[in-house]
Amino acid sequence: MKARAYPGSRIDAGRMSRRALVGGGLALGGAAALSPLAGVLGGPSRLAAARQDAAAPGGSLRVGLYLDAATMDPHFSGSKVDRQIYFNVYDPLVTLAEDLSIQPGLAESWEAPDPTTYVFHLREGVTFHDGTAFDAAAVKVNFDRMMDPELKSLRRGDVAGIESVEVVDPLTVTLHLAEPNSALLATLTDRAGMMISPAAIEQFGEELARNPVGTGPFKFVEWQKDDSLHLERNTDYWMDGLPHLDEIRYRVILDDSVRIAALKNHEIDMVDYVPPKFVADTRADANLQTIDIPSLAVWFIWLNTTAPPFDNKALREAFASAIDIAPIVERIYLGIGKPANGPISPASWAYAKDVPVRPRDLDFARAKLAEGGMPDGFACAFKTEPTPSNLQVSQIVQAMVAEVGITMDIIQVDTATQIADTVAKNFEATWSQWSGRPDPDGNTYQHFHVNGGMNYGGYDNPEVNELLDQGRVVSDRDERTKIYGRVTEILQEECPAVFVWHPDEPKAMATNVQGFPPVPDGMMRFATVSLD
Amino acid sequence: MIGFLVQRLIGTIPVLLLVSLTVFSLMHLIPGDPVQVMAGEVQDPETLARLRADLGLDRPLYVQYAAWLGNAVRGDLGKSIRTREPVTDVVLQRLRPTLQLSAIAMLLAGVVAFPAGILSATRRNSRIDAIATAFALLGVSMPNFLVGLLLIFAFSMKLGWLPTSGYVDIFADPIAGLRSLALPAITLGMALTAVIMRMTRSSLLESLSQDYVRTARAKGLVERRVVIRHGLRNALLPIVTVVGLQVGNLLAGAVITEYIFAIPGIGRLIVDSVFARDYPVMQGVVLLSVIGFIASNLVADLLYASLDPRIRLS
Repeated sequence: MKARAYPGSRIDAGRMSRRALVGGGLALGGAAALSPLAGVLGGPSRLAAARQDAAAPGGSLRVGLYLDAATMDPHFSGSKVDRQIYFNVYDPLVTLAEDLSIQPGLAESWEAPDPTTYVFHLREGVTFHDGTAFDAAAVKVNFDRMMDPELKSLRRGDVAGIESVEVVDPLTVTLHLAEPNSALLATLTDRAGMMISPAAIEQFGEELARNPVGTGPFKFVEWQKDDSLHLERNTDYWMDGLPHLDEIRYRVILDDSVRIAALKNHEIDMVDYVPPKFVADTRADANLQTIDIPSLAVWFIWLNTTAPPFDNKALREAFASAIDIAPIVERIYLGIGKPANGPISPASWAYAKDVPVRPRDLDFARAKLAEGGMPDGFACAFKTEPTPSNLQVSQIVQAMVAEVGITMDIIQVDTATQIADTVAKNFEATWSQWSGRPDPDGNTYQHFHVNGGMNYGGYDNPEVNELLDQGRVVSDRDERTKIYGRVTEILQEECPAVFVWHPDEPKAMATNVQGFPPVPDGMMRFATVSLD
Repeated sequence: MIGFLVQRLIGTIPVLLLVSLTVFSLMHLIPGDPVQVMAGEVQDPETLARLRADLGLDRPLYVQYAAWLGNAVRGDLGKSIRTREPVTDVVLQRLRPTLQLSAIAMLLAGVVAFPAGILSATRRNSRIDAIATAFALLGVSMPNFLVGLLLIFAFSMKLGWLPTSGYVDIFADPIAGLRSLALPAITLGMALTAVIMRMTRSSLLESLSQDYVRTARAKGLVERRVVIRHGLRNALLPIVTVVGLQVGNLLAGAVITEYIFAIPGIGRLIVDSVFARDYPVMQGVVLLSVIGFIASNLVADLLYASLDPRIRLS
């Protein structure tokens, strides 16, 4: 595994025309400023022009987020939206390419002399935004901060398999693992692999949550909670010629309709996520480009295998066979994504292509009800957060299972209650939306291995346990694909969960936004993005 | 007067205590755990237990309440569980946009509601009265989120006059600030306008039917003077009461309005802190709202006395 160029690091040839465009914007902005009334009641085009005059050659990218970030400290982050910003402020040791291959990041190359040892050769001459040098010692400080139980880092689970971190020389660092872990590199492409300046850790402590210092293409400037977050170009970025943009201004717009309206109105250039019902609208807009990015996520219904009625395998099968997945994805999610055949998304190399989606079969369901000792059906309860699409799914499932005599109550709960009840196994069936991980292990082990940290259904199948253990030891992709294919088959047959949807994560942006890399983890990496 | 104020301030202490205790109990009665919410989709029980201990959330509830109260008395409202920022900072920071928004909404409401209310009272059953009544009905019936989205559709999407959302501080940039707050203020002020207008109309109608108004007319005063000096002044008491009470409703309305227009104010802070079970922030916001509510009623009481010399504050 030798170093190659950073994915998507092509220098585009459109910078001259951009300069000309900004010149025009300046002139327009000046005209708008001459008339105060026009300033107050000016149309959207004038508004856009007035905002562009702040932009120097690379321009300013305005991005709409669906939620505000919680913290700027990757070691203490539990919120998905935090990562949208991290990927521009911090660099991970290794990066994830569009095809989910692992590419060099802060580590130029790496090797695994044996399955429990990883040696990383770090890039030379990289500095943090505060001017301090990035080296092996910095890597060790970061890992130690994640691993120290006293510091309570939310990354501790990610780095749990690492026993120690050894600084070999200033540009070489070795990770010693307790046991083989084929998913480690994929884990290090995200928060667990992002390197924070040790000087900043020392200086800010807890306040790092509001003062991020990384090595990334953009530097942190300012954060107005629940309103906006401002990044500017890192002029000393280690990749020549990057980034193109001068600055990124994130804005938080919670309401989906308003966020899409702001995009169509040119008040922002890009949104992180287009909900299914707006996709047709953004596609139809000639000023926007909409990219369907398949995600690694899986949405599924947990069935609690530790308590009645779903401790009975026949009843789980009856429930699952009464549900028709395809129309749910087609009607409610408007076909944005794929019906799920198991926990691993079609975006993954380990997707079980040959396993069909579980078909609806009412005769089979009735037979299974009889086998499970409940020929006339049974009652169960389904917990979900009451978002409109969740409720629609619940109601469709309710109607479907009612056809074989299963009475399903829908219990509406808020996020905090949902998490608490799920973790406490205080549910019969509950809705789960897993954002997905680049390595198939991340979509399977934690949920379906008996030792998995988030096996909320309490599922325990010796064959699955063994296969998932193997999946961590074997490193050959073909062999692993077979392993996870078998896991998918067993899970579908045994139904510890009903797999429903692998969502796409469509992103919409103005047509002049160029060079955006559509990585299936849904993150917006702006190093290579330019405005033409 | 001073005695009255001191008495009222002392009277607020039990109210604040009771409210804080109620909110504290309610927040802990509902299921959910702030640390779990903070961790998001990845739950590592051991780390979370340590975090909980760190934040003192593993102590008995009465100990937690006593600790909070002890600090609050000394002016320390604690730190947000979610962001680790001091609650006082968080709340004061969010207060600014909400105050600006509410002030403009009230101003708009006053400017529209008083003249419209007076017109519909003095020209009862006229066309103007009918239009004003229809508007008032619409204003109280239409929920904020609908008004907000309709305004965005009309003024931002179709006409392109104003931005769809966002917040600019009015003191930092008055023009951009007014532009950003125009639609939210109309949204928030709509119901208030309707209520004030209807109250003005009915209250003015009543006072215009009083004997002293007949006397004023009999002695040959101009109608304008009769309405303003004799009618309206006497009609103001119930209006002041209603406006005082509506301040609380403004805050409730701000929750939705701030959500739609992406304004980083108190309304959103309330919702977010409840969903995140961020107990200290929740307590801080409620405390602040209660103080605001009490203060606005106090101002209403003071206004009574200045409007009606017969009322003495004691």
